[in-house]
Amino acid sequence: MIELITTAESYQQAEALLDAGADTLYVGGHPFGLRLPNPLSIEEIGKIVTYAHRRGKKVTVACNALMHNEQIEKLPLYLTRLAELEVDTITIGDPGAIFVLKELQLPLKFFYDAGTLVTSAEQIAFWIGQGASGAVAARELTLKELIAMQQKLEQPIEVQVYGPTCIHQSGRPLLTNYYHYTGSDGPVTKDQGLYLRDPKNEESQYPIFEDEDGTHIFSTEDLSLMGQLKVMHEQGLNTWKLDGVLLHGEAFVRVAALFHEARLAIESGAFVPESFCNRLAKLQPEHRPLGTGFYMKNPEDVH
Amino acid sequence: MMNMIEKKPEVLAPAGNLEKLKMAIRYGADAVYIGGQAFGLRSRAGNFTYEEMTEGVTFAHDRGAKVYVAANMVTHEGDAKGADVFFKTLKDIRVDAVIVSDPALIVVCANAAPGLPIHLSTQASATNYKTLEFWKSMGLERVVLAREVGIEEIREMRRHTDIEIEAFVHGAMCIAYSGRCTLSNHMVNRDANRGGCAQSCRWKYDLFEMDGGKEESLLRDDEPFSMSAVDLSMLHHLPDMIDAGVNSLKIEGRMKSIHYVSTVANVYRNVVDAYCSDPEHFTFDPAWDEEIWKVAQRDLSTGFYYGVPTEKEQLFGKVRKIPKYTFAAQVLDYNPDTHIATLEQRNNFGVGEEVEFYGPGFAHFKQTVRDLWNEDGEPIDRAPNPMMTVTMTVDAAVEPYFLMRKK
Ligand code: SF4
Repeated sequence: MIELITTAESYQQAEALLDAGADTLYVGGHPFGLRLPNPLSIEEIGKIVTYAHRRGKKVTVACNALMHNEQIEKLPLYLTRLAELEVDTITIGDPGAIFVLKELQLPLKFFYDAGTLVTSAEQIAFWIGQGASGAVAARELTLKELIAMQQKLEQPIEVQVYGPTCIHQSGRPLLTNYYHYTGSDGPVTKDQGLYLRDPKNEESQYPIFEDEDGTHIFSTEDLSLMGQLKVMHEQGLNTWKLDGVLLHGEAFVRVAALFHEARLAIESGAFVPESFCNRLAKLQPEHRPLGTGFYMKNPEDVH
Repeated sequence: MMNMIEKKPEVLAPAGNLEKLKMAIRYGADAVYIGGQAFGLRSRAGNFTYEEMTEGVTFAHDRGAKVYVAANMVTHEGDAKGADVFFKTLKDIRVDAVIVSDPALIVVCANAAPGLPIHLSTQASATNYKTLEFWKSMGLERVVLAREVGIEEIREMRRHTDIEIEAFVHGAMCIAYSGRCTLSNHMVNRDANRGGCAQSCRWKYDLFEMDGGKEESLLRDDEPFSMSAVDLSMLHHLPDMIDAGVNSLKIEGRMKSIHYVSTVANVYRNVVDAYCSDPEHFTFDPAWDEEIWKVAQRDLSTGFYYGVPTEKEQLFGKVRKIPKYTFAAQVLDYNPDTHIATLEQRNNFGVGEEVEFYGPGFAHFKQTVRDLWNEDGEPIDRAPNPMMTVTMTVDAAVEPYFLMRKK
């Protein structure tokens, strides 16, 4: 009933994640997938799909970029390849990609995933009307809102239950521009461990990096809904995404395994949130605090 | 024979209130966009009541201009309550279009106010022609492009779709893809997509690298990291915009002053007319540039239109001082026999000061204030009180709604 979706950065990690209990692997590549742990080629994606299907598991491929003409022109070929590979679902964040998908009449299911812009059941209903099988909720929603939304919809709302969340995407190379202004060069890529801090908030550390899609900034905390999984399940929010965009290899697999264990415990009625939360805290990298983001806030407190 | 451009693009100006709406139209805007009491993104920009909208629409329609209402909020559960009545009322008021980004609101609008044209807000970040085609197939009349689109891309879009294209030509810019920034949500609990943006991008940040649990600063020369964009101005490149097939040239700034809106609308009106009347012999008049700088608040750049912006299009370090003009008075009346103008004061000014008058149609002249009388006809030295009525001798003919500025 509960679907556990995890990002996968490689074939090797995909294997480990399926061993750990993931139901669906989330992969993708440039220039169509946004903010992935590691962009994969279509061949690598193909290998993962074949392997996952052999194990009776699913693969979702990220096609959620905001696309410029150049990307949208390359999209039909990519989608055709994905359909040939029989990927189970794709994510789309640009209505132009839906238009292309309709034109091609490919047998590809899609989830609408426009980051910050998916905030109500009525919006999701609109995208379902355009063929979506579900949608990925904005991370800026509260659990109260998510529950109310899911109650109005038959199709699933995917909720991120673990990992960092993107809070800013700029089309500009903001790091490069900064270095150039000061007449120098410096690190810009994802795995170089770069952070911003708001001096007014000593605790804050926002991961930042540049890639082909521009500059991305992430939340200070890694989201975790470990403590709320049971409520979510009871309220019908059963599509859980774990995002490993900033956590690699085995470390991320261990987190996925713990969420899988939590899922089994919930299904068998033996879930003790505190114990799972403590165990997750032990797995968590020291410099990445865990938090519940907007999920536990009151909708009225954010405006 | 001259090769005129028949279908001139529209000059679209912002209007934060009724007075600005009227000024923008008097100063040459073909259309203005305003906010209603709900569903917009500029909670702090004076928003229009239905009565004010009605008056604004009548004023605009009498002069062949249009009024669009921005309802570009990204709604959460419950936020769309009342949207049906809102859109229906706008249609009854004869508003010319609504600017929406949230598909939930688009659906409500289409059902409650069939026939009311819908424009896709820039908030939805439309960046390719298939997206334009998608919205066209949903019945939308126009798409406001994302600011990340280049001129060449617009040309390409035009070759593939006939939906109306609106693009920003002037004003402040969000440094993120519109709609894709929630810095303010995360930093101060204010939802950028519901009008709460706290401009967190313009704050100063530390930048560091985490190496084995140890922080190492990447800041250079004590210069804080920041993400502030300089403002956009396509003034020098309007022929490119027009030839690329842009139907509406949008000026940003519903929070901006009358001085700003009138000046920018006036300049863009003038350039568009000059180019469209005779594209082949068009030359850029430096006076246009000079005029725009009188109301510039930051440095100006061409944004993404000619490539991805570099450090030169961001604000770092000491901000260059831009000569500041202030709005001093508005002309209420003029007597051509005595050359005496009646003015309403907007900022303190007095005898001996250098001032400049400007009016619709790019009329301009500078002079020194030689004399000044109060309402009772008594000579005075200065006009210190807000909105006080004064008279003075002017060097050239003026008309009501001419404005006077000073350095
Ligand atoms: S914080 Fe800056 S980049 Fe973000 S929405 Fe506001 S103006 Fe745009």
